Amino acid sequence: MSLVVTGLSIASILLLVALGLAIIYGVTGVINLAHGELVMIGAYCAWALQSFFGIGLLASLPLIFLATALLGWIIDRVVIRHLYNRPLDTILATWGIGVMAQQAVRLLAGGELRYVEMPEAMNHPVSVLGVEIPIFRIFILGLAVALFGLTWFLIFRTSLGLKLRAITQSREIASCFGINSNRIYGLTFAYGAGLAGLAGAVVSPLKSVAPEMGTTYVVDAFMVVVLGGVESLVGSVASAFIIGQSSSAVAFYANDTIAKALVLLFIVILIRFRPQGLFAAKVRS
Amino acid sequence: MRNRDLIQYLTYGTVCLIIFLVPVFVQDAFLLNKTARYLVLGILAISLSLSWGYTGILNLGQATSFGLGSYCMAMALKLRTIPVHTGAEGLPDFMVWNNVEKLPWFWEPFYSMPFAIAAGVAVPALIAAGLGWFMFRGRVTGVYVAIITLAFLVVVNLLFIDQQRFTGGFNGITDLAQLDIGSFTFDAYGASSYYLIAICLTFCLFFALLVTKSKAGLILQAIRDHENRVRYFGYDVARYKIFAVAVSAAIAGMAGMLYTIVMEFASPTFMGVQLSLSVVIWCAVGGRQSLLGSMLGAILVAGMQGALSESETFLDTWTLVMGLVFVLVVLFLPKGLAGAAETLKDRIFRKFGRSSKAMAKSPGEATPRPAASRPT
Amino acid sequence: MKITRRGFIRGAAAAGAIGATGFPHIWNKNLSLARAADGEIKVGVLFSLTGTTAIIEESLNKATILAIEEINAAGGINGMKIVPVIEDPASDPATFAEKARKLVLSDRCVSVFGSYTSASRKAVLPVFEKRENLYFYPTLYEGRECSKNVVYTGAVPNQQQDEFVPWLVEKFGKKWYLIGSNYIYPKEENNYCKKLLEGLGAEVVAEEYVPLGHSEFSSVVNKFQSLQPNVIFSTVVGDSVVALHRQYRAAGLDPAKMPMASLTTSENEVAAMGGEAAAGHFTSAPYFMVWDSPENRKFVDAYKARWGQDKVTHFVSEPSYFQVYLFKQAVAKLAPSDITPPNIREAIKGESMIAPQGKVQIERENLHTWLWPKIGQCKSDGQFEILKQSATWLKPEPYKAYPNMHCTEAGLTES
Repeated sequence: MSLVVTGLSIASILLLVALGLAIIYGVTGVINLAHGELVMIGAYCAWALQSFFGIGLLASLPLIFLATALLGWIIDRVVIRHLYNRPLDTILATWGIGVMAQQAVRLLAGGELRYVEMPEAMNHPVSVLGVEIPIFRIFILGLAVALFGLTWFLIFRTSLGLKLRAITQSREIASCFGINSNRIYGLTFAYGAGLAGLAGAVVSPLKSVAPEMGTTYVVDAFMVVVLGGVESLVGSVASAFIIGQSSSAVAFYANDTIAKALVLLFIVILIRFRPQGLFAAKVRS
Repeated sequence: MRNRDLIQYLTYGTVCLIIFLVPVFVQDAFLLNKTARYLVLGILAISLSLSWGYTGILNLGQATSFGLGSYCMAMALKLRTIPVHTGAEGLPDFMVWNNVEKLPWFWEPFYSMPFAIAAGVAVPALIAAGLGWFMFRGRVTGVYVAIITLAFLVVVNLLFIDQQRFTGGFNGITDLAQLDIGSFTFDAYGASSYYLIAICLTFCLFFALLVTKSKAGLILQAIRDHENRVRYFGYDVARYKIFAVAVSAAIAGMAGMLYTIVMEFASPTFMGVQLSLSVVIWCAVGGRQSLLGSMLGAILVAGMQGALSESETFLDTWTLVMGLVFVLVVLFLPKGLAGAAETLKDRIFRKFGRSSKAMAKSPGEATPRPAASRPT
Repeated sequence: MKITRRGFIRGAAAAGAIGATGFPHIWNKNLSLARAADGEIKVGVLFSLTGTTAIIEESLNKATILAIEEINAAGGINGMKIVPVIEDPASDPATFAEKARKLVLSDRCVSVFGSYTSASRKAVLPVFEKRENLYFYPTLYEGRECSKNVVYTGAVPNQQQDEFVPWLVEKFGKKWYLIGSNYIYPKEENNYCKKLLEGLGAEVVAEEYVPLGHSEFSSVVNKFQSLQPNVIFSTVVGDSVVALHRQYRAAGLDPAKMPMASLTTSENEVAAMGGEAAAGHFTSAPYFMVWDSPENRKFVDAYKARWGQDKVTHFVSEPSYFQVYLFKQAVAKLAPSDITPPNIREAIKGESMIAPQGKVQIERENLHTWLWPKIGQCKSDGQFEILKQSATWLKPEPYKAYPNMHCTEAGLTES
């Protein structure tokens, strides 16, 4: 039982980090290697708001979302916008942006590890189904589910989402119907960046805050997205769950190194036989 | 057409000649050693250009092959230090520390230098071919190739770090002997290693060029531009792709061996994600659809990185500058520096009254690449 | 001394450096312009300012620079100034090798102070050995190295564990959980620890290694809960330490019953995890920031004045600081024309000084350092309380786990 709960808490962080990436990649086809840096910037925002303005983590979440979303929007307008026809080149450009972001943060905030305080009320374990788990982990799980719900709602129940789905189906035809795909892409990128920022802020009290922290997240997030299927939000949830559970189980019986290697190998094999991901809807070709 | 090929051969030849002349002007051991290191990275970039630029296979795990080559050479050189470190019957020192009692079977053959050199080329090529077979027989394409190769790289890297008893773990294999072939010793800081690398580079460059000019090479470029059409013609696309990644991996493995010689150690960072992404960047900056461009891109970027981080003005900001340069290159020079040079050359030709139509039709570097469609 | 404009600026900067805070690199960057000239001693400073290990190496860079500035402000070495050439090896072993070559071959530094990880030390070693140069390495490390071109001023396993492990067994019990990052340092420390535990009749219930940079410890914490060890012996390094402590605390585990005993958790990491996550856990090291001695008060005050009041000193930055002074003492014994790396090495053998941690001395045989191990318990204000100090200074024995091997002046010998 404790294994399942551990797996769930790993999965919730994976999902949180991967959600923004999944949306950006699924909608715009941009492979955003700077995603990890957006996570990092979110964490630094949490640190800055806390240590300079005394705003606690929970209160600062909306601000962080807006700040990183704005940053994402700027990145989109200045750079990514020009590359929508060249998806592979976005790998390079976003990599460059990531490198710049790391060093800019290091110069602004210093290279030391930074400290974000955990909300005191959540710094205790509770017993769930006979397993002691930290309240904060439950909070992360809740937040991940809530954000997933919100995203799902945005995409499937709003007119913005309708346009977005139209563009995903066919950008040209959507444009013919008067949908401004450029604007939608910009908003999508901003939203994805905002989610990344939130993820960074929320994991910062459990982990450490440093300029390089993003690099570890981006590979994991990609694996989640690919495993789940690029255009399937539900797929991301399921694959985060699968990866979380299998990491937890393998790590318990062997160790974390082997867990990581096995999960990656599993993904490689899966892509080979089901390149559209586990949960993709019908594939167009 | 033929005229154009001639110009290309001449350009490639001139660059190689310049590389050979460097030691005449540069006597400083450090500079020579540093240039040699950049040349090795240049070979690595050539290998990626072959698979990415010419075949359209974006291999984010190119460093796997590089690292494997590097370890093959390091194993051979490490075994030669045994008599000095741990006695004639001994083991490599890190194995002693890890309580290994007998030399593992896969280390045994590396006593032979020819075997090690052959392995440094063949092992990466075979592994790449295996992975290629696995991917391309299943018709995995586009970004999924990138992700599989990246994931594979991370797995190999994790294994090498984890199996410390056999690989030296995170520290890698250090404290190596110098390479000597016959009675000749290659000093890492001297002109001898430099020439060795320059010869290998010239060989790889022209070998890769010949591959791209061969019939197989043309088919590879056709696959890059329109895979399905090639398939409809009845070609076995997967086989050609496997061939491309295997050749590319062999060249990368060779670069890895040379890297061990010039750096005097092998490290898991040689098969790290960072390096692997860097190769992609070099090719992009230099122009991935040109072997020479990719190679110069590697030398240029690595050299710039070195120079910027050495200058006191940029000590804090050199990574910022590098990042900015990449973004600008991607935005404004989608075909890299080689693409820019090509455009420039075309313009000059046009001035001389040649029809630009004939130029545009010729295959190879000048072929405009259709905008890549979104991978789904 | 000739007064040139640059020389003047440098002198003025050195005088004004103490007390100046803010942009730390402006001054020392100008120095790297300097070419070897009359009255200058060039040394290399090789700590990563970018990349993953910059988090810690930056503070080592700062401690080294501070010592150099102090020595220069006090008149240099026999009237000669130390000129640091600062390079950024970007946390990458290959770049470490390249920069080390630059410092040795191109800048012709007489010694280089640098590096944190074993991997980077291994990467720079060939150039120092082949070019007979001298490398000053301030970090605690796994031992088992015997190079006549490296001066080691950090602790080796016996200096951290000989008193610590028996003390923990007596105080907490015999069920041990060993956890470390997956590389040579933790594995070697654990080898030594297991030897000690065997002698004490204690039991290792698990030995586990997580990938470097790992930050998801829920599985590990889960195992803590199910195995209930008496002591968690941690050699996890870098930002993983922070994640481990915070997740341990969030899971509600109790340091009074199941403390983490670490060889790698310093004030630096504690500042990043927050005092409450570190409180109650133990660290063994030769130096803690709170150590009460006139030399340490002077060091801490100068460090804060130079780099900022919120900065902390720790057990790797302290050796980074005092090793420059040992270098100075050695060079001071030489005539200006004799200042070469081999001569400095001969001169530094047996050299001693009162460092912030106490009196330290370079061991003649193996160029390691005699140190004063201490056991500290972390408090919630982020500082340690020193519970025990070794009764004597401890000899560095880099091959203690291998009784038939000895590091001597002649090199490694077997018996």
